[in-house]
Amino acid sequence: MAEGKAFNAFEMAQKQFDKVADMIDLDQASRDLLRNPLREFHFSIPVHMDDGSIKVFRGFRCQHNDARGPAKGGIRFHPQETIDTVRALSMWMTWKTAVADLPLGGGKGGVICDPHNLSSREQEQICRGWIRQVYKNVGPISDVPAPDVMTNAQHMLWMLDEYETITGGRYPGLITGKPVGMGGSLGRKEATGYGLIYTVREALKQLQIDPKNTTASVQGFGNVAQFAIELYSKLGGKVTCISCWDQNESRAITYKKADGINLEELQKITDRFGGVEQDKALELGYEALDGEAWLEQEVDILLPCALENQITEDNVEKIHEKVQIIAEGANGPTTPEADKFLDKRNIFVIPDFLANAGGVTCSYFEQVQSNMNYYWSKDEVLKNLDQKMTAAFWAVTNLSDNRSIFMRDAAYIIGIERVAQASKERGWV
Amino acid sequence: MKKHPKSLERLVDTLEERVKELNCLYEVEEILHRRDLDLDDIFHEIIKSIPNAWQYPDICNVKIVYGDKEYYTENYQESPWALNTNLTVQERVVGSIRVSYSVEKPEMDIGPFLMEEKQLLDTIAQRLSHFIMYQKLKQVFNKWESTKQEISVTDSGEWRVILELLKRTDPDSYIRITRKMLNYMVWQGIADTDQLLQQFNPFALHEDENLLSETNKPLEKRKVGNIFAVSQKVFDTASKHMNNREILSHIQQWMQQDKTSFLIKAISNNDSSLTDINEAIRRYYQINPKGMALAPSARIGVRAALIRRFFSDQLEFINIAKNFVQVRDFHDILHRMIFPTGSHGKLGGKSAGMFLASRILKTSKQFRDVLKDIKTPKTWYITSDAMIQFMHYNNLEEILEQKYKPIEEVRKEYPHVIQLFKNSHFPGELIQGLSMALDDFGTRPLVVRSSSLLEDRLGSAFSGKYKSLFIANQGSKEQRLSALMDAIAEVYASTIGPDPIQYRGERGLLDFHEEMGIMIQQVVGRRVGDYFFPAFAGVAFSNNEFRWSPRIQREDGLIRMVPGLGTRAVDRLSDDYPILIAPGKPNLKANVSVDEIVRYSPQKMDVINLKTNKFETVEVSHILKQVGNKYPIIDKLTSVLDHDQLNTPRFNTDFCQEDVIFTFAGLISKTSFIEQVHTMLKLLQNSMATPIDMEFAHDGEHFHLLQCRPQSYSKYHAPAVIPDNVPKDNIIFTANRYISNGTINNIRYIVYVDPDRYSAISDREDLKSIGRAVGELNKLLPRKRFILMGPGRWGSRGDIKLGVNVTYSDINNTAMLIEVARKKGNYIPDLSFGTHFFQDLVESGIFYLPLYPDENGVIYNERFFKESMNMLYEMTPAFSYLSDTIHVIEVPKETNGLALSILMNADIDHAMAVLMPPATASFATQDIQSSLKVNISTEDHGLWRKHMAETLVSKLEPQRFGVKACYLLGSSKNKTAQAGSDIDIIVHFQGDQKQRQDLINWLEGWSLCLDEINFLRTGIKIGGILDVQLFDDDEINNEDVIIERFNLSEVQLQELPLYHEEETDHTSEN
Repeated sequence: MAEGKAFNAFEMAQKQFDKVADMIDLDQASRDLLRNPLREFHFSIPVHMDDGSIKVFRGFRCQHNDARGPAKGGIRFHPQETIDTVRALSMWMTWKTAVADLPLGGGKGGVICDPHNLSSREQEQICRGWIRQVYKNVGPISDVPAPDVMTNAQHMLWMLDEYETITGGRYPGLITGKPVGMGGSLGRKEATGYGLIYTVREALKQLQIDPKNTTASVQGFGNVAQFAIELYSKLGGKVTCISCWDQNESRAITYKKADGINLEELQKITDRFGGVEQDKALELGYEALDGEAWLEQEVDILLPCALENQITEDNVEKIHEKVQIIAEGANGPTTPEADKFLDKRNIFVIPDFLANAGGVTCSYFEQVQSNMNYYWSKDEVLKNLDQKMTAAFWAVTNLSDNRSIFMRDAAYIIGIERVAQASKERGWV
Repeated sequence: MKKHPKSLERLVDTLEERVKELNCLYEVEEILHRRDLDLDDIFHEIIKSIPNAWQYPDICNVKIVYGDKEYYTENYQESPWALNTNLTVQERVVGSIRVSYSVEKPEMDIGPFLMEEKQLLDTIAQRLSHFIMYQKLKQVFNKWESTKQEISVTDSGEWRVILELLKRTDPDSYIRITRKMLNYMVWQGIADTDQLLQQFNPFALHEDENLLSETNKPLEKRKVGNIFAVSQKVFDTASKHMNNREILSHIQQWMQQDKTSFLIKAISNNDSSLTDINEAIRRYYQINPKGMALAPSARIGVRAALIRRFFSDQLEFINIAKNFVQVRDFHDILHRMIFPTGSHGKLGGKSAGMFLASRILKTSKQFRDVLKDIKTPKTWYITSDAMIQFMHYNNLEEILEQKYKPIEEVRKEYPHVIQLFKNSHFPGELIQGLSMALDDFGTRPLVVRSSSLLEDRLGSAFSGKYKSLFIANQGSKEQRLSALMDAIAEVYASTIGPDPIQYRGERGLLDFHEEMGIMIQQVVGRRVGDYFFPAFAGVAFSNNEFRWSPRIQREDGLIRMVPGLGTRAVDRLSDDYPILIAPGKPNLKANVSVDEIVRYSPQKMDVINLKTNKFETVEVSHILKQVGNKYPIIDKLTSVLDHDQLNTPRFNTDFCQEDVIFTFAGLISKTSFIEQVHTMLKLLQNSMATPIDMEFAHDGEHFHLLQCRPQSYSKYHAPAVIPDNVPKDNIIFTANRYISNGTINNIRYIVYVDPDRYSAISDREDLKSIGRAVGELNKLLPRKRFILMGPGRWGSRGDIKLGVNVTYSDINNTAMLIEVARKKGNYIPDLSFGTHFFQDLVESGIFYLPLYPDENGVIYNERFFKESMNMLYEMTPAFSYLSDTIHVIEVPKETNGLALSILMNADIDHAMAVLMPPATASFATQDIQSSLKVNISTEDHGLWRKHMAETLVSKLEPQRFGVKACYLLGSSKNKTAQAGSDIDIIVHFQGDQKQRQDLINWLEGWSLCLDEINFLRTGIKIGGILDVQLFDDDEINNEDVIIERFNLSEVQLQELPLYHEEETDHTSEN
């Protein structure tokens, strides 16, 4: 119990920023601007509850920075929401859009509420109330919200409808995460997994390795992992190993086939949460290994696509000496301690900010399509995604090469520098 | 070995014979129930059906003689090889049946006939005799009705005609009506009537002859002149004081009542068997199919008596039920009841609850519209004493003593007991009844449910302790019958399963003579493809004891439902989730985000596979792929998952192809289902004056109520005040989700199963041993003075990795069961929601608390659990190898004498485990004390005390303490001791003052020691367990002194052997 002060996400985000600001020797005014959100809205949302009573909910919207374009970020419904969490998340959004080189800023919003205690009508009232309070300050050309923790497409549509009712027009670009046919974009499912492999492909070019001669081991078998495996196989690579959560045994299991897994046959025996049926996998000739075995395989590429904190001080030394690339499909799979070891081993790490930026890029495409009220084919979306991801990858890699810094630091530097630059060019600082 | 085929053949022959007999009996019943046949037709029909049941139907002849008429089979031939039996109506022979073979056949039991054939013939004759009697009674009654009508039409006051007719046909009734008239006049204060009262002695009539209360024989020859003369006077007097109309109306009313008196007599007589009651009710309706009016007072009386005989002695139940049931209902039930001849059995709690609930729903006028579609499935009942008959028939009586054995032994022997029961035979009577039931049911799948007399009584819902078994009921009649009997035998065996016995032991119900009724219910559902299942089914509780939002009130109730059979809603699931709905707040969902909804949606369903005749659990997706849109009301039960969004199914949704999730969304928003359930819960709770739970199934068209019983809930559920000034160091954990109300104090031990360690164990046996160790600790630790904390889902069946593998009996002494959901990456393991287990917890007052240590703002003092001294070795050395995983923490030892209290407040959704000095911590312990149930049987307490007394006395050195002898008396000697009893010992003391003081000190040490040991055994502390009195030479021989000092009613002493040096030496030499 003696951990001392409670964890504060915003302070941590500021510390991270300060570290990079020192590295690039950022001027004080820029630091002062970027350490805090540009704008914050705090407001109350009164809701007539089902039982006739009125309850007032607290809502927020933070626009950390919109120097590069409209702020972009989700809306969270969370009972333990605090403004500091929202601030921290909005700052991270700013860096994220900047790393991916999207013409967007960073924002985040939320309402303190627990949807478990709310009927669907009451949630609708919260959504509409939220828009009524900030409709003047958000919009397709100023701040574009999206679904986040405990909000989904339905909430987005309620908000969009309220916005359009007030403003008297049709502005599908107000918000992203809408269903296909209601202003949503195709290719969203594929975006993160494909985006990950686009960066892997470029990394192999950088290392001058033919994808056809590579093997990979994947942690996770969910949406991201499955599309990543699909595209990687198309490039000629061979996945020999996946690991996934086994609901029955309540532990992760690694499935291995030395001459390459067959994605389609595995998908047939996989539930919607990415769990593979063990019996059937064994029947198909897969070897069932311990959950951490994916990490120890003799492969060229590791793709952690499941959870955070998977590569740690304790297991990082088990990584096979053959491994040359780690591409982070998941958020934060590597701990800072492990990072140091990877750096020493000279493993090429594609940091999560960059590697899984396919998701946010696709959200950007949704907004673009919505604004022009013209929707692309899936191929078009994926083609543009490839371009964006490739460009983002090389920007980070070149910086890392030129200045001999670790890829993760390079990504942060690129992001922060781009935002600082835009703010400067606008004459703000 | 050579003999084998032959005996098998014989067995088959015998079985075939039995079936023939059953069919014959069944046909006879059918014939007798046909309204369109007169007596002649009936005799003809019966003659036709009899020969088939005999060994040689081709040469079998039947003759029935009734009065002056005779009926024959075709080509009837007299022959000497015959069976005869008489038709008897009211002990008078009125005819006979003769069955004969026209050709000589080999000698069997009775001539060429089997013993069973003779019995069959007797049974047929008996049924026929009864039938003839009804016919006669009916004629008399009809005559009365028509006479009565004539008179009322003329209204000439010709009541004398009625009386005359009555006098001739039914003198008993005549006398009774006279008496009533006389009583009436005396009350009215009419002169001269007192005198008549003295003269009137109705018993004169019965001095010579013992008659039945009603008769249809003429009575000319009896010596009744005297009493009739007095009667005449009575009515003469009446006519002087009352007008004709008045007299007539009285006579009519009394006659009407008198006609039903047989019913009242039969029912109110405790000696009358169900057979008698059955006959009386049959007769009541056979005389007049609409039933005759009962006097209002009699009506309630009859209802109450019927309820008592059929269902329950519980006054609370009778009090409520009598307002809702009618005699007619019992008439209906009797058609579907199976009971041994002379039965005094009951139908059991489940049947009672079900019966009452369906009556309440039917009689409700207020909610008629909402409740009009509610149905109950066709049900047959077997009375409770049929089980005893079954056990007698198979000489299984000694198995009833099973319940007094130690629970471990019961558990060990149970599998054999099941086999023993399943391989036993059913008495013919029962087989006959079951055969009729099967014909009535057809080939619809059936469920055999236990309905024990203990089950479902107020305050002790035996939920799921006894079995309910599904049978597909497919195949030939023989196959179906055999499957049905197999299932019943298994349900019977479950009365002596370990869990029910343990449960009963705790509630002091062991000595209650457990009998179990059986309900055989048609399974609600439809055949879809090869499967049979209801569209959905579940359980509903009128009190929601498990709320996922503080906005949900207890009164909002709770529904747990699943697609397919309701078994998955009732049972604790380890691999799947039922949908939870609070019918009072249907819009507050337990799961909100699409992810949650999808993850917690039912993935499997229970069905009956009609092809394999098996009860199966199948994947929902598998069923949908096969049957798709043919699944009943599938569009109301599901949502379609598309692009991470859940959509309402559309008109052209293809349920075979799309990603379909069971959400019951349409059912909730578009149908009156929720309103229906909510109304039922409220109505039943109000009418039955107690919270209830019910099981239901829905076939897509109708709601079917399957079961209803009082819901169990604990008294100590007041919201605790949670102090905000507790030093942080004193808080062991806090919780803020799914909190119920309550306070637990004085927790001395914490059993902590380390979630990380537990999930690191890879060997299944090791995982199982954790469960066994917990079971052992549960026995050793003081009852309700410890809490169990462990990962995930306690009692998870099947998926042991999800939680420690325990059954209810392994955890029943804990004060609280805590499930810890440690975050694993982004994934928080699923905790168990309410289930059978949960109900047990509620009933035993065991609290349940989920902990989410990784949530913001939650305190979770992991170091306290991991770093405190682990007492596992001291407690149970055999399991000490598990001390990495299981931590037993003695709280006072770790905290300088503090104890743990857990304060829970559902209103603010907050709970806190806090260390407090035991003094303040004990303020509410009295409640817990009073609810302490004795875990160890009375006999154990007595034996333990006796043993301890013997031990301590054997260590008492006579010379050192000046002791001559020691005696044990009181409850310890008589083995009637309770957990809190003391040990009464008399010491015959001859020593000096110093020795006296030494002795007292020595004994005090023992006393405190034993008290501590007793506390560890039972959780009860009385501050010294010995009550020792020192007696001198004079006192020891004076009984009065002993009686006075120990406050006894009589003295029974048992001398205990003292320490004996020579003896000790002697044994050591060996």
